[in-house]
Amino acid sequence: MSTTTLTHDDAHHHETPTGWRRWLYSTNHKDIGTLYLLFALTMLFLGGASAMVIRAELFMPGIQLVDPDLYNNLVTNHALIMIFGAVMPAAAGLANWMIPMMIGAPDMALPRMNNLSFWILPAAATMLILSFVVPFFPGGGTQINTGWTLYPPLSIQVGMSMDFLIFAIHLLGASSILASINIIVTLLNMRAPGMKLMQMPMFCWTWLVTAFLLILVVPVLAGGVTMLLFDRHFGTSFFDAAGGGDPVLFQHLFWFFGHPEVYILLLPSIGVLSHVIPTFSRKPLFGYNSMVGAMLAVATIGMVVWAHHQYTVGMSLGAVTYFMIGTIIISIPVGLMIFNFIATMWRGAMTFETPMLFAIAIILMFTFGGLSGVMLAVVPADMQYHDSMFVVAHFHYVLMPGAVFGLFAGVFYWLPKWTGHMYDERLGKIFFWTNIVGFNITFFPQHFLGLAGMPRRIIDYNVMFTEFNVLSSFGAMIFGFSHLLLLYIVISTIRGGQKAKARAWEGADGLEWELDSPPTFHTWEVAPTIK
Amino acid sequence: MSEQTSELRKKNIVVALLLAAFALLVFFTSIPFWTGIFRIVGNQAGG
Repeated sequence: MSTTTLTHDDAHHHETPTGWRRWLYSTNHKDIGTLYLLFALTMLFLGGASAMVIRAELFMPGIQLVDPDLYNNLVTNHALIMIFGAVMPAAAGLANWMIPMMIGAPDMALPRMNNLSFWILPAAATMLILSFVVPFFPGGGTQINTGWTLYPPLSIQVGMSMDFLIFAIHLLGASSILASINIIVTLLNMRAPGMKLMQMPMFCWTWLVTAFLLILVVPVLAGGVTMLLFDRHFGTSFFDAAGGGDPVLFQHLFWFFGHPEVYILLLPSIGVLSHVIPTFSRKPLFGYNSMVGAMLAVATIGMVVWAHHQYTVGMSLGAVTYFMIGTIIISIPVGLMIFNFIATMWRGAMTFETPMLFAIAIILMFTFGGLSGVMLAVVPADMQYHDSMFVVAHFHYVLMPGAVFGLFAGVFYWLPKWTGHMYDERLGKIFFWTNIVGFNITFFPQHFLGLAGMPRRIIDYNVMFTEFNVLSSFGAMIFGFSHLLLLYIVISTIRGGQKAKARAWEGADGLEWELDSPPTFHTWEVAPTIK
Repeated sequence: MSEQTSELRKKNIVVALLLAAFALLVFFTSIPFWTGIFRIVGNQAGG
C-alpha cells in the first residue's frame, strides 16, 4: 500500500479559510460535503413544495388550483429535483464527509475535481428550474408534460423548456461522473496502510459499487438525451417514427439508466444502515462478506432487468419472461441484506435513538415496497397495475424509506460528529414519528387507488376515488410540513447544544469516531495504521 | 488541501483518467446511438 501522507509545517495549510472563498474555492472534503448537504436540503424543500401543490390539487376531484399542463410540469420537476437535486447530492454529501475519515485518508484523491463536481450542480439546478419557469414567459413555448421519463414523441414536440432540461441532465450527469471517479480513486488508492478492501467500512463499499454503477449508466442517459436533442433540432430521427426512428429505443436507453438509478439511490442508504444498526444494537454487522456479495449481485442483476418498466410496450414473450424472472431474482440478495440487518439486531443490547428508529422503519417499509415490487415484476399483474397510482405508491415506499429515510438516519447519526453537538433527541423522535405517520397516510391509500383503477399523472379523477385522495393529501401536508422540524433540528444543532464526545454513540466503531467532534479542518494528515 | 506524494498523485490521476476513458467509451459506444448514425448515413446516401 503506497498511501503516504506528508506532514509539513507550511502554516497556511492548517488555517481554516474564511468568507466566501472558503466555500467557492474549497478543496476540503468536509466543506464540500457540507455544500452538497445544504444544496440537497434546499432542493428537498423545492421538490417537496411541488409535491404539496400536486397533492393539494388532488385533494378533491375536478381542477382547482393549477391547469393540466402546469400539473404535468410539476410532476416532471418534482421527480427530477428530488432524484438529481436532493437524494443524489445528499448521498454525495455524506460520502464527501465520511469516506476520507472512515478510511484514514487526509482528503479525497482529487480535491480540485471535487470542487468542480459540486459547483457544476448549482448551474445544473438553475437550468432545471428554468425548464420549469421558461414556459411562463412570452415565447417560452409549452410546458414539459412528459414526466421525468421524457418519452418521445412528446419530448420532441415540447417547447424550448425541454432543451433547458436536456442540458440540465447533461450537467448533472457530468457532476455525478466526476464525483464517482473521485470516490473510486479515493477508495482504491487512499486507504490507510493495512486496510484491505474487505476491511473497508460498509458505507465505503456501498459507495464503491454506487460509483461504478453511475459510471456505467449515466453516459447512456447522456447519449439518449443527446439523441433527443438531435431529433429536436438537427433533423435526425432516432426516436421519430415518421422519419423511420423508434420511440421505444429511447425507453430502452432511458431505463438502462433508470433502473440501476434506483440502486444508485438505495445503496448509500444501505451503507448508512450498516453502521447505524450495529451501533445501536451494540453488535458487529452480521455477515459482512455476504453483504458485500449481495450488494455486488444487486448491482449486477440490476443492470440487466431494465425493461420491466416497459412490459406494456409490446415485447416478445421471451423478452418479458426474461425480464420478469431477472427482476424477481433481485429480491434474493436484497432479502439477504434485510435478514443480515435483522440478524445484527438479534439479541443485541438495542436502544432506540432517532437514527435507529429510522433504520427499523426502513426495514419494515422498504420490505413492504419491495413486496409490491415483486407484484409489479409479474407480467400479467403489471398489465393491470401499469401507470396506475399503485406504481406511485410502490416506488415511494421503495425510495422514501430506502433512500431518503436512510439519508435522514445518516444525518442524525453523524450530525454530532459534524457539528460537535448532540441534537435534541426528543425533537428528533417527534420528527421521526410525524414523518413516518405522514408518509404512511400519504402513500398507503394510493395502493388502493391504483388497484381500483386510478391512473397516475392525471390532474382529475372520478369521484369514486375521492375519500382515499382526501386522506392521501391530508397525510402529505403532515409529511411535508414535518420537514420544517428537520430544518429546525439541524440549525439548532449547528448553533449549539450538548457537547458531543469523539465517540458520540456508545456502540459506534470505526476510524471516524477516533477523531474529535467536530473534527479539525484537516484530519488524518498522518495516516493511521490498520492492524 | 493536504499534500500527496508525487507517486500517489500520479497513481490517482492515472486511475481517474482510466475511469473517465471508460465513461466516454460507454457514452460513445451506446450501440443504438451508432445504429442510428449509420441509419441516417445510409438514408442520406440512398436518398
